Amino acid sequence: MDPKVEGQIQTEWRWLIAIYLFLGGVGGGAYTIAAINSFLGEALEPSTIVGLWISFPALIIGSLCLLADLGQPTKAVLAGMKPGTSWIARGFWIISIFMVVAMIHTWLALFGNAGESLLRIVAVVGVIFAVSTMGYTGILLGASKGITFWRSGAVPIVFVISAIVTGHFAIMMGLVLLNTPEALEALRPMAAEAAALVVLEVLAIVFFLQMASRHPDPRESVERLLSNKTFVIGYVLGGLVTPLVLMLLLYREMVGTDAGTILAMSGLGAALGLMGGLILRWGVLRFGALPTLNVAGFEFRRVARPKEPKPEIGLLPPQ
Amino acid sequence: MPRYGMVIDLKRCYGCYACVMACKVKNYSPPGVFWARILKGERGSFPNTVRQALPVLCMHCENPSCQEVCPTGATQTLDNGIVIVEKDKCMGCGACIMACPYGARYSVEEWESYFPEGLELSPYEEFAKKAWEEKRGIGVATKCDFCRDRLDTDSEPACVEACPANARTFGDMDDPESEVSILIRRHRGSVLNPELGNEPKVYYLEPR
Repeated sequence: MDPKVEGQIQTEWRWLIAIYLFLGGVGGGAYTIAAINSFLGEALEPSTIVGLWISFPALIIGSLCLLADLGQPTKAVLAGMKPGTSWIARGFWIISIFMVVAMIHTWLALFGNAGESLLRIVAVVGVIFAVSTMGYTGILLGASKGITFWRSGAVPIVFVISAIVTGHFAIMMGLVLLNTPEALEALRPMAAEAAALVVLEVLAIVFFLQMASRHPDPRESVERLLSNKTFVIGYVLGGLVTPLVLMLLLYREMVGTDAGTILAMSGLGAALGLMGGLILRWGVLRFGALPTLNVAGFEFRRVARPKEPKPEIGLLPPQ
Repeated sequence: MPRYGMVIDLKRCYGCYACVMACKVKNYSPPGVFWARILKGERGSFPNTVRQALPVLCMHCENPSCQEVCPTGATQTLDNGIVIVEKDKCMGCGACIMACPYGARYSVEEWESYFPEGLELSPYEEFAKKAWEEKRGIGVATKCDFCRDRLDTDSEPACVEACPANARTFGDMDDPESEVSILIRRHRGSVLNPELGNEPKVYYLEPR
């Protein structure tokens, strides 16, 4: 394989699918955190309420992105026809049920007079579908036999951890925007949790890239991903390292403890973490290299050919 | 009921692209869509290297990964073994395009002209665009269907008929006396990337 020649990468799934996977993860992650809080009897904590508020809109907007990406959006009602074999069909049902459960939970927690036991039952059901949604966003890619980079079993692990991280940061961002004394109080302990989760994500992404580097086709994806400025600056530096440093500084009280500093540090860290989660999904999608075909000892690598601009009328193409 | 398949003799194929053009003319495919295409590969290391052309099309697999991931049931395997896309059921999610390891599927957002920017579609292109939209559809997955409309009239697929080197043979793989069955048996035909488990029905005969 000639490393100087770039192999062909997939062009079918682009930004809208990355946003769909990202928001599915944010919705699932934020809900999981809120539901666990609710299960532990902290139903009225600001982080629980913010998490519930975030999950449903994130899922709706994500689903609209998927719809916008379809070639024939009017046929989207057919998406759940083959759950026996298709992960898209399974995802259709998982996300649909999750949206209904998240909506019921939000309504019961905020406006209803439901007892604690009912809230706990709803929370358990909701967490099952939230975790399924987070896992689905990774398994969907893993089911694509045409892209060996995505076939690794590590993709769902990375996506689930990243979903919890982004859900956590989304709740922190919500608390920053809420800007109440209770919200302010919740931010510091959440910073410690965020730092631990980011460390877990770093371990998962290193494991995933290491696994993928074992074979030539996915190795090309890894090399192109790690040499892409948007990914390195936006995800590695902006989405992992900087939020980790900010969260540690905040937790260890190494910066001022006044409300303005806490809000600024939390808001910046959360925004960068969320941006990182989106760029992670974009990068994994963007650099999915098509596999090398082989028969009879020959290797046929599909080579990237940039689309040449059409010549202007009356001009011959350059010799 | 026959079970159709194809054998491609790599010893005979010299990469002239006649199959590519025949497919495009027969199916009115727009720029960028190649249901039949040619890849170039190599074997060995300098100075003992060999270059080889590889015609690739939909492999009409026994275990089609495209059919497995299709959420709507638009991708189906007919009784004669041909894998098709039913355009009225396809919602254009692209899952099958991602699932095909052979890159045999295409989705078209717009039937664009082959000619320079600023020119209107030629009369032939207008006709081709209309035919494509009616038969294949816009925003949905499309692929080779072994020219199944030609099979109804006892003709072979356009790529088979156009091949000047007679590198392609088409026929019933369930019939042990058919030419494809004999070729596969006699020359130990092999398939692309057998490790994937798709069990393609397009076989290749090794170049010597």
